[in-house]
Amino acid sequence: MDDSSLSRRTMREALEGLGQKVEEASDGNQALERFFLKPSSLVLLDMVTTGRHGLDVLAKLPEMDPTVKVIIATADIQSSTAEQARAAGAKGLLNKPINSDLLKASVTKMLSGGDTWN
Amino acid sequence: MELTLDRKDALTELINIGYGRPAGALSELTGYRITLEVPQVAMYEIELIPAMLEAMLGPVVASVSQVFTGPVSGNALLLLDEQSALVLSQLLSEAGAEPRNFDSNAREIITEVGNILLNACLGVFGNLLRIQVNFAVPRMRLESSARLIEAVVDANEEKLTYGLIIHTKFKVKGGDVTGYLVIVLGVPSLDRLMSELDDWESRQLQ
Repeated sequence: MDDSSLSRRTMREALEGLGQKVEEASDGNQALERFFLKPSSLVLLDMVTTGRHGLDVLAKLPEMDPTVKVIIATADIQSSTAEQARAAGAKGLLNKPINSDLLKASVTKMLSGGDTWN
Repeated sequence: MELTLDRKDALTELINIGYGRPAGALSELTGYRITLEVPQVAMYEIELIPAMLEAMLGPVVASVSQVFTGPVSGNALLLLDEQSALVLSQLLSEAGAEPRNFDSNAREIITEVGNILLNACLGVFGNLLRIQVNFAVPRMRLESSARLIEAVVDANEEKLTYGLIIHTKFKVKGGDVTGYLVIVLGVPSLDRLMSELDDWESRQLQ
């Protein structure tokens, strides 16, 4: 979920390169609707978008699927923001601009059961 | 209202560190080397700012503004002249189409570039000064400097009589894209910034 088509395009290309199927949402409500209809094993969430904040979406997703893994993808580079995301249950955080190789490595690690905090 | 020389020096150093990160981010996005000029820090009366911006950027300014709140609040802006904004959007667009106008795709690209650059810059300040900066959704505008500054004043939590203008000029692709990063703060936030800056300096010297 990202309100920027540039970021969505970057992430889609990287994930499809890993052979993953990708669903896009441009805001938090759309992300929750799409996830409800078609749950995904992994969700990439922007934090600051119109409507619902990314951390709000992060809190709602496990109510629909407790096994979902979430990576926050944000331009906010503050350590305190990363701490907030981790405390809210995100399994990792990537800073924008998204580096495709880093995204692929994080997703691969996460889908095999790890997280990217350490 | 003026900044003392010592504080101006400390602020310039903080900005030098803070502006390096957005330059790296922009380079990563575009694939081109970014050159940064030495940051300029000065206090201006708000009503003098539009003329200054017009002299730097021409009659129409493409801006991405992001209100930030927290111990220090204000408005961060990415400013580009019209042609630079079109070229930058073309560099990052999927189709690589000729830049002719600001369609929704071009606007969205400029908005996201602004989001990344402004977050990178203010995020460094937040990390170094150990304060939490909260960001609002970035907004892109294409309008005169006077209208832009009116909008900045309206969006600011604090009354803006003076604004601290921190700006640096950057160039992408040898000058095809020239822009400015500007932070506008009111006097109360400036006082808090100075106090946080003193703390940061003390930590650096320990």
